[in-house]
Formats: sequence, C-alpha cells, structure tokens
Amino acid sequence: MSDGEGDSTGESRQSDTAVLESLRLADSSLPVGTDSVSYGLETFIAADRVGDADDLAALLETYLRRQLGPGDLVALRAAHAAARDASGREDEDALAAVCRADRRLVAVTLPAEFRESATRTGGRLLSLQRELREDSFVEAYAESVADGDAAGVYPAVLGLVAARTGVGERRACLVACQEFVTALAGAAQRLLGLGHTDVQRVVVACQPTMEAAVADSADRSLAEMTPFAPLVDVQSAAHERADRRLFSS
Amino acid sequence: MATDSAGGPGDPAVPADESASASDLPHSAFAVYAGESLPGAGVGAAGKDGRLDLAFARDGGETRLVRDLARVPFHVSGTLGHDPHPAGETVYVQSPSGGVAQGDRHDVSVAVGPDAVAHVTTSSSTKVLSMERNYAAAAVTLSVGSGGHLDYVPAPTILHPEARFGRTTAVDLAPDATAVVGEVVVPGRLARGERFDFERYASTCEVRSDDELLVADATHLAPGGDDPAPTAPGMLGEFAVLGTLYVLAPAADAAALADRLHAAVAPADSPSGGASVDANGDADRGVAAGATRLPNGAGVLVRVLGHRADPVTDRLHAAWDSAREGLLDVGAPADRRQ
Repeated sequence: MSDGEGDSTGESRQSDTAVLESLRLADSSLPVGTDSVSYGLETFIAADRVGDADDLAALLETYLRRQLGPGDLVALRAAHAAARDASGREDEDALAAVCRADRRLVAVTLPAEFRESATRTGGRLLSLQRELREDSFVEAYAESVADGDAAGVYPAVLGLVAARTGVGERRACLVACQEFVTALAGAAQRLLGLGHTDVQRVVVACQPTMEAAVADSADRSLAEMTPFAPLVDVQSAAHERADRRLFSS
Repeated sequence: MATDSAGGPGDPAVPADESASASDLPHSAFAVYAGESLPGAGVGAAGKDGRLDLAFARDGGETRLVRDLARVPFHVSGTLGHDPHPAGETVYVQSPSGGVAQGDRHDVSVAVGPDAVAHVTTSSSTKVLSMERNYAAAAVTLSVGSGGHLDYVPAPTILHPEARFGRTTAVDLAPDATAVVGEVVVPGRLARGERFDFERYASTCEVRSDDELLVADATHLAPGGDDPAPTAPGMLGEFAVLGTLYVLAPAADAAALADRLHAAVAPADSPSGGASVDANGDADRGVAAGATRLPNGAGVLVRVLGHRADPVTDRLHAAWDSAREGLLDVGAPADRRQ
C-alpha cells in the first residue's frame, strides 16, 4: 500500500488521511507510555557518558543505526508487509507472518528491559487501536498475543497498525524513528536539563541518521535482524539494578 | 566469475564458486568476499577444511569422550580430569597451525549426551591472520541432551590487520540441559599497537530448544565499513576487547541467576556497571560489564568490555565460576593454559 505524496493538484483524500494518521502515531501525546522509557539512556547519563546535546546526538546515532535499523524496523516492515494485504481474521498466513516477525524481534532483543518496554508500549498501542477501530485482523493478532503466540512488541504492533490504517511501510519506519528520538530526547531533557532548542537541535541532527536507518532496514530478511550495541547492553543491565531511577528502562 | 589470480605460474586460481552458497555465509556482508578466488589451494581445500567432532556420554559416575574426530588444523590429545565436578570431563583442543587463514572453512561439532558434563576449550588464542582475498569462517554446532551440561569457552580470537572472519554458533539444548558458551574478541595484537585494523568480524549465536528459537545474537564489527564505528558511543566506546558469555539454562530461575552473574562481573563501586579504571586506579584493568536475562527464558547474557584481553577473560571466568556454582554446585575448572 502506498502513501504517495500526491502532486500539487491531485492530492487524494486518502493520502491526507495517511499523513494525519502517521502524525497521530508519531505524536508524543499518544498514550502508549513512551515518556517512561529511556532504553538505557538514564544510566549513560548517570555514568557521565552523556553530558550534553552533542553526546546525546552521537549516542542516538548508534541506537538508530545499530538497534532500530537492523532490529525494530525489520520487524516493523515484516509485520506491515504481512498485515497490509490481509483480508481479515481468516487470513492465517498473514497472521502467522506478523507473529513470526514479533517473535524474532524478541529473540534478538537481549537486554531484558528493552523487551519489557517494547512489550508494554506495544500492548498499549494495540489496546488503544482496538478501541478506535474495528478490524478483525487486529483482533486476531491481539488473540495471538493473549495466547502467547506473539509478545506484541511495539515495532510489530506499529507495523500492523500502520498497515491497517493506510500508512505506508517506509513512512511507518520514519514514525518509529521519530517517536524513538523524541522519547529519548525528552528523557534527556528531564535528566540533563537540556533546553527546548537544544532538544530540537538533537532531533534535527538525527534526521539524516533516521533516513539511513530506514534505508538499511529495507532489504533485510528476518534472519538478518541483527541489532548489536554492547555498551548499550551493559548500561541497560546496570539500569535494571539502579537504586534510583525515573525511567522504566 | 573471477579469473584473476595472485598465484604464481602453475598456481591457477580456484573458481570462487567452490565456496559456500549464499545461505552459508556467516553474514550477508561477506558476499562480496565470497566471489574472490584464492591463489593456490582453494577454499575448503586440504588443510583448509578443518573439522572437529567431539561427543561425550555419561557412563556411570563419569563422562567419557566417545568420539574425537579431528582433522588438521585441529588436534585432540586426550582428556583432562581436572574439572571440580565429579562427573566432569575436559578437552583442550590444540591447533598447531599458525592461525586461521583466508579461505579456511572450519567445522566444529560438540555433542553432549544425557547427564554428561563436558568442558571444551582451546589451548591457545585463535589468531585470524591478515587476508587479501576471500575470508575465513567457522561453523560451530553444540548440542546438550537432557540433564547434561556443556562449557564451551575457547581462548580469545585475535583479529590481525585486514582479517575477515565469520563464525556461526548454533546451540541446541534439551529443556532441562545447561550450557555456558563464551567468546572473547580482541581487535588486533594490542601490544604492537594494532587496534581495529581488521576488516570485518561477524559472529552469530543462535540458541534453540525443542525446535524453538530462543535467542539470536549477532556481533558485527567492521572498522573500515559501516558507520557507526566499533568505537562509537554505545558500541565499544573507549574499550577494545569484547567478551560475551551466554549462560543457557531454560529451566533455571533466570532473574536470580542474572543478579548473581551481574554481581560477579560488574565493578562493585560503579553504579553504571563500568569504569575506565579499576579499584586500584589501574587504567588498563577497567571494564564495563553487566548481566541481563536472555529472551524466552533461555538464561543470562553477560557482556564484559575492557581495554586488554586479560581483565575481560578474568571477569568472564568469574561469571562462569559463579554460573557453575549456581547451576551445578561446583565452580569452574581452573585455567590450565600455558
């Protein structure tokens, strides 16, 4: 399904709807709990590894290129590809493909708190979407999650939801990147006291990297889902045992 | 097909097609190397297709090595009974050749039968030599039967300049089996000033039980290629050496085991799991380390990053020792390397 930009005279209402839907999904006010995640950033800051906006932008590049691009976005794309043409709950092959992408992402996500955050935010997005729209395919996936056939991790849910609401695959990947960067920049704002302009500067600085991460994820099979950032793993392990913490990951 | 050859007269190039098919690549990035023909003896030719096939079985109160097929460069000279576990058996694998060379395709298989307790390691570091063409690869297959335990903890892999090395490790264990699988990668002969001068290192570890994929980890370092660099923040940062220990125990209490292993490896005085200097202020001995629960209840991941190999292997040994205490009620065997 395409989310073509349209031309100056023939922009379709359908593409406008897709744009609005993608803006809604990327909005930091989406009630899925991304304001409580830091994916290890809180420990990077506690360890003085991140002290200013430049440090943050450099670390976000690693997250985008080494975690999201080869990991989350591959799962998102696979879930999207399976879900977008599914007729409804009776399409078992499509449902199985979404669940496979979901399970593979869990198997390659080694820090325990990353899985917990992705499962919690994914669960919230899934239940929110079920309140907003009736879609038997989304219902069938929710049943798979309830039955333990899939974890319902955020990137897989986002891929599914985007596909079912007409948001294209690449745009959904950009939404995931924007959401991630906004969440971590927001966490840094609270932890480091970064100013609003500095935060926006970091987000803008990350834009080329977001594009690169989305491009890198394009041709990967599930077997090529290979996130790898060892110091992030170590900081997340330390975060699990931190005495005082504001964020759940 | 490549037709050029770096070999001398009478030393025709071997067609690249003799190498593994695409699905056998250790990582998709190795596809560009696979098309490069080798001068002289080709990919997987005699002396380059090293094979090690070990099998252990429980026999009453002890574990016996019941199969020990070793083809050059691997050599097995028998077993060592120095495991503190009463039923434990140890094999030190020797590799008399100078190191892993371009075109080498090694195949390692270790099968541990029900209730057997086996420890397999190498007698020295694996040196991956400089390469001009093609690449070197190793495929490691480990299996542990019901109630069995395997420790597969080879000495560090040292990547010389221009080295291209890929390793795949597949672990299949019974739901009530346990295994400790370790890996230490050193990005050059650090004492000579070599540091991230290799070309590409890819090492994957996939863990299965009852045909279900529990864990898939992929270490990928390419100093000359992809950004961000191996030394980027969040990657290895200021550190050089990466150690990983997979403590696999699907039936164990993973949360308790993770806390135990984290306490064994993380610097006690550091809230963030890392310090660039150790407690005595020794800048070279500082590490960043931590442990976390693996997906799907598979066990625990331990990562240790350091400036030199010794502090990393020391920490991993501490984690291994603690894991054995937790799982088998006896610690790890002492290091008998020369």
